Amino acid sequence: MTRRTIALALNDQQLELLDRTVARGLAPDRVALVRLALREMAEKRAASAETAP
Amino acid sequence: MSGREILFEHVLEPGTGKAIELLAGQILRIEQVAGGQCVDFNCFNLHDYKEYMHCGRTRTVHGFNPSKGTFLWSQPPRERALVYILEDTYGRNDVLFPRCSAYLYESAYGFSDHTNCNDIQAEAQREYGLTPDDVHDSFNLFMCTEVTPDGAATITRQTSKAGDHVDLLALVDLLAIPNVCGADIMRTSNFALKPVRLTVFAATEADLAAVPPTPILKSQRTPKDFKVPAIKATRELVRDPAYVPAFTNVPLGETVIEVDLDEAEAAAFEALRLGLYGDDEGAALRDIVFSWWEERFMKASSGAPAIGDR
Repeated sequence: MTRRTIALALNDQQLELLDRTVARGLAPDRVALVRLALREMAEKRAASAETAP
Repeated sequence: MSGREILFEHVLEPGTGKAIELLAGQILRIEQVAGGQCVDFNCFNLHDYKEYMHCGRTRTVHGFNPSKGTFLWSQPPRERALVYILEDTYGRNDVLFPRCSAYLYESAYGFSDHTNCNDIQAEAQREYGLTPDDVHDSFNLFMCTEVTPDGAATITRQTSKAGDHVDLLALVDLLAIPNVCGADIMRTSNFALKPVRLTVFAATEADLAAVPPTPILKSQRTPKDFKVPAIKATRELVRDPAYVPAFTNVPLGETVIEVDLDEAEAAAFEALRLGLYGDDEGAALRDIVFSWWEERFMKASSGAPAIGDR
């Protein structure tokens, strides 16, 4: 899978939620937060797939 | 619980309801006399009837079967806990079905007149000047309902016994209106109508201490926050020529963020993206981000915010 760039359109309220989450210290900026969300979701799905009967 | 002072006792006969002033700190016990009887319950803020128990809000927070340890909420934008369910010995209630109405019995059974919860509620609350239009969907105690996998809602028979009861603790001053459900030709109350005992107690310190805290938020608005604070007193709806829309946060601007993904992240994106969005990668990524946020920060697994998730 090659690197890629995705254009993420967010309205003001969605941006506000991301900005407040960034302000909590989870990531240094919006893009980093989006990438963190992606990685954590992938890890979580992989973990749940491993534990599935 | 022992030590509670009894303030009021009443037996609801079949076909009847009773409007009761239930002040904050008082408990209304609704108790089976013979067993197997569904009871509909409504309540209003005693000092502002425009605030009332809202099944939709309650259902969102607590699911289809609110029971011991949950709240009955008022409608948006009030959205505060009006009642705490302190005890529930049977454990089956319903906020999925509306109150039964005269239309049901006429359309399905051919009755021109028949006991029904809407009319019983209306008659009981008439004691306080409320009209049939003021009846709202009810909290249905001892009512067994299910949602089937295909999404249909069904009613089943019930097995509550004499003495089974639900204790409702008022958190604000209320007009509380329980009624014996009028459905004698439905399975709701096992095809029979039975009396129900009502008892109002003064809550003890232990009762009050059992109530979990609920948040007080800016969004819980009251008439002092409304652009139209007065209650409309005429039936006809007439346009206000001076009306200027003032919707919250409108117009909503949009910002596009360019998100560079490395190879691993791109692979993760491909694995997580939903087919729902087709070729729209931005929409798929937005879904992933806010789904992550829900799972990371919200307590409600349903995706519906609950009491206070922050």
